Amino acid sequence: MTGLSRSMLAAIAIAVALAGCGSDGSGRAEHSVPPLAASGPVVPVTADGIHQLVARPGARATIVNVWAAWCAPCREEFPALLSAARARRDAGLRLVLVSADWDDQLPAVRAFLAGHGVADTTYLKSGDEQQFINGLSPRWSGSLPATFVYDARGRLVDQWEGMADEQRFTSAVDRTLAAAHP
Amino acid sequence: MRLTRWHLLPLALIALPSLAASGAPLAIGAKAPMRETTMKCVGGSDTSIASAAGKNGTLVIFMCNHCPWVKAWQTRIAAIGNAALDQGVGVIAINPNDPAAYPEDDFDTMVARAHQLGFKFCYAVDATSEIATSFGASHTPEAFLFDASGKLVYHGAVDDNAKDESAVKHPWLKQAVSAVAKGKPVSDAETKAMGCSIKFRAPRSS
Repeated sequence: MTGLSRSMLAAIAIAVALAGCGSDGSGRAEHSVPPLAASGPVVPVTADGIHQLVARPGARATIVNVWAAWCAPCREEFPALLSAARARRDAGLRLVLVSADWDDQLPAVRAFLAGHGVADTTYLKSGDEQQFINGLSPRWSGSLPATFVYDARGRLVDQWEGMADEQRFTSAVDRTLAAAHP
Repeated sequence: MRLTRWHLLPLALIALPSLAASGAPLAIGAKAPMRETTMKCVGGSDTSIASAAGKNGTLVIFMCNHCPWVKAWQTRIAAIGNAALDQGVGVIAINPNDPAAYPEDDFDTMVARAHQLGFKFCYAVDATSEIATSFGASHTPEAFLFDASGKLVYHGAVDDNAKDESAVKHPWLKQAVSAVAKGKPVSDAETKAMGCSIKFRAPRSS
């Protein structure tokens, strides 16, 4: 191993150690350092499954982001999404990441998640695609990326399509957190 | 940054926004906007939606070169489009993406792709993305099918399985084209599938 590769790995390890974004909906703080270059489980999910996740107690708001590894704007907005979510985890924000990739893209999905230090459970769109889209929201065209914000009771309160910056994420989430009862 | 619910309480004064939605797509029954606007076709000529129209209807499909979903469907798009021409339904494929964002969506690649796929119809550039905007198109591929009177009768996906053509249960666009060619109603007028968000060009300053 060269000095360069060691330093690169060290930088990645630090980034991973600093990351630990709770995306499994458990609301638990994640303090352990995930294994290098390993993502958490990627679990198939339907729209109904997402509804159950966002209605699960333990969060004051939930942000669901549907992305794909091949999708450039999805990849581009990902750091801003993670930054906004990580900064608000202790305020009760739950992050649910849903990959819309096909099954054979799972290695790329895992690599991307690992590269961003996402070590908790994330999800893979499953089942009929049109039902998935309309199940999440009849107002979603199917365009990626897509983001949905839910309140503490699992009610959809905001949604948008296309790439967002951190301000877009934070403003939507902060409004929802603020509207939640203490 | 560490926020608590108490820090966030003042923001409760801000009302929750209505559910955000980008420009709504054309409604079923609507006429095609910007029909006379000319676009450059891969063959080098200028064309428009009006000039591409067929006697039995017109298929406008927004697509591009880079999108994996378009790539998954592109041979079906070619087959459906070419068959539509044989049925008196005019066809125009339109690329609204800004190649500055996706270099693969440039004109030279469009020319090569249309040749590779054997398009018998025009693959044109929406050079300002204004046609896609006027349609309320949001992603590629996204189809809009108009009947002989010019009314939108189908909007949506190619079919229900981009990944595996052999597993398609609902060949929506193919069936819609066939219905329009025969002057019959389209049974599934609005369908959805995932796709790549359109990278619109920045509006021109006046």
